[in-house]
Amino acid sequence: MQTATDSKPGAVVFDRRQIYRPFLERLNPIGSHNLPADGLIVAPDHDPRDTGEPPIHVAFANTAELTRGSQMALVGGIGSGKTTELLLTQKELSRHSDAVNIFVDMADYKDLSEISPGAILATAGIQLYRHLVKKTGSKKLPDAVRTAWLELRELAFGKTKWIDPEAFDPHDDESGDDLVPVEVPGVMKLKFPALRGQVVEILGQLLTIASPLLEDEAQITLLVDGLDRLIRPELFREFAEQDLRALRGTKISVIIVAPLLFLYDKSRFVQDYFDMVKHIPAVAADSQHSAFLRQILERRGALELMGRAEVSTIAKYSGGVLRDLLTLARSSAEYAYRDDEDRIGRRHVNAAIKQLGNRYLVGLGNTQKRLLRRLAEDGEFPIENTTARELLVNRQVLDYFKGGLESFAVHPALAKVLPKPA
Amino acid sequence: MIGFSATTAFGLVRRLATVGLDTPSLYLLISDAPEMHVIQADITAEIQVQLGVGIQVLAAADVGAGRLEDVFIQDPATPVILITLDRWLPKLVAALDRNMVLLETPGAVLLLASRGVAEHMLIAAPNLRNRLSDVLAMRPDEAFGGTMA
Repeated sequence: MQTATDSKPGAVVFDRRQIYRPFLERLNPIGSHNLPADGLIVAPDHDPRDTGEPPIHVAFANTAELTRGSQMALVGGIGSGKTTELLLTQKELSRHSDAVNIFVDMADYKDLSEISPGAILATAGIQLYRHLVKKTGSKKLPDAVRTAWLELRELAFGKTKWIDPEAFDPHDDESGDDLVPVEVPGVMKLKFPALRGQVVEILGQLLTIASPLLEDEAQITLLVDGLDRLIRPELFREFAEQDLRALRGTKISVIIVAPLLFLYDKSRFVQDYFDMVKHIPAVAADSQHSAFLRQILERRGALELMGRAEVSTIAKYSGGVLRDLLTLARSSAEYAYRDDEDRIGRRHVNAAIKQLGNRYLVGLGNTQKRLLRRLAEDGEFPIENTTARELLVNRQVLDYFKGGLESFAVHPALAKVLPKPA
Repeated sequence: MIGFSATTAFGLVRRLATVGLDTPSLYLLISDAPEMHVIQADITAEIQVQLGVGIQVLAAADVGAGRLEDVFIQDPATPVILITLDRWLPKLVAALDRNMVLLETPGAVLLLASRGVAEHMLIAAPNLRNRLSDVLAMRPDEAFGGTMA
């Protein structure tokens, strides 16, 4: 591509950035929230675990449309395309004019380590209120809705109280100093812990805010992203047992991303609690089955800059992790640009694979390397082992599902740089 | 330490110029601790010369795990943020890992870390690692021989 120079009238100079920049902008591996509008998403045409079933976003949308109040979970490793699936579901749900879809990433509101049960409900209430204001204007809303909004904001973000410092006694304890709690066990154990007072209070405000929509029989769906990144996965269970359970029976559907570890948890909490659980394994990345991965790159203009062989190599070494697919393509383009080349060649792709592999290799000790070699050589992977699970969560090991069978494999980019035993 | 591709501030900013600042980029830059301030100065100068935009330079200790929203708020005047991590701050790294969405705004975020800190980060922050545009070993301009990165 040539651009006019401003130094010599009539002359043209070669600006290589213009070759690569549009491609790189379409490859951006972070921040995929605009992709459905950009038309860059290659929507899957079936469930990744079952070719006979509809794709996840269609299954989720159908369930939310037909069974209001249903609760669904999406499980998948880092970079597997969970956010994209949620966005596709949101797009699918929007086909009905009465659909109210609330998409939230909990980290948009507060550091995930600082949120407590009740936060999902509060976020939903805040977003629903914004929807109503946008739709009808705040002045036309019933007083009860506006009051509920103000109280919900206080419950969510706290408030500053102004009190007389003379009257303030930080050691004042209304419960009395002489009393201590003693738990007397009953004959029945509750399946779930009781809803906390604050959660019940927030639910009340949320339902008041949602009442104009619920009275109109609107189809409300809450799509919650980000909680799979909770520092303690068990905290996710608390959110389910409080926030999501509080929403049961409200006709507000929920689709939530859950930590991958729960899929392999012996308690089967996720499978038992949710009405529907969908799992996104890594996409089959071998040359026979990687058409989906190649399509993703081709949709972004890869064939303008590299041959089919390079596209296939990138697909293979991504291991079927969608974000790694984009990262490899982007790094390859950057290496080609660095070398002042107009096309991406095999050596650029190989350099990108090595870089990605090295990222996964950093910090692996002998125990992890032994597990990886055992998996690579004998196909053995003890999923019940804590270290093995860490490898899975951190994507050094990938989970595949084919022909009704689950299998594990070392990430191919890591396998390429994994040192041989001495 | 595992060998990552080496480059200079010039090479790094040339990459940023290729990608442009309309989309988010996130780089982990590795430097020997004694050279970090030199690298930081090189990057700052190259950003201003090559891209003609402002850069916000922060020490990790000043970022604080609890105020990420303030740091990563989108400011068109300073689309590039350079954070120097000269020591291991597990709370900050954990907060970055959990709250990746805050970094997903147009512009570039450059995390300049010593070798040890970078290694810790890649282990302890899998979400962040997965979203990195690249990991690069930084060299001061004058010490970098051979082909320009």
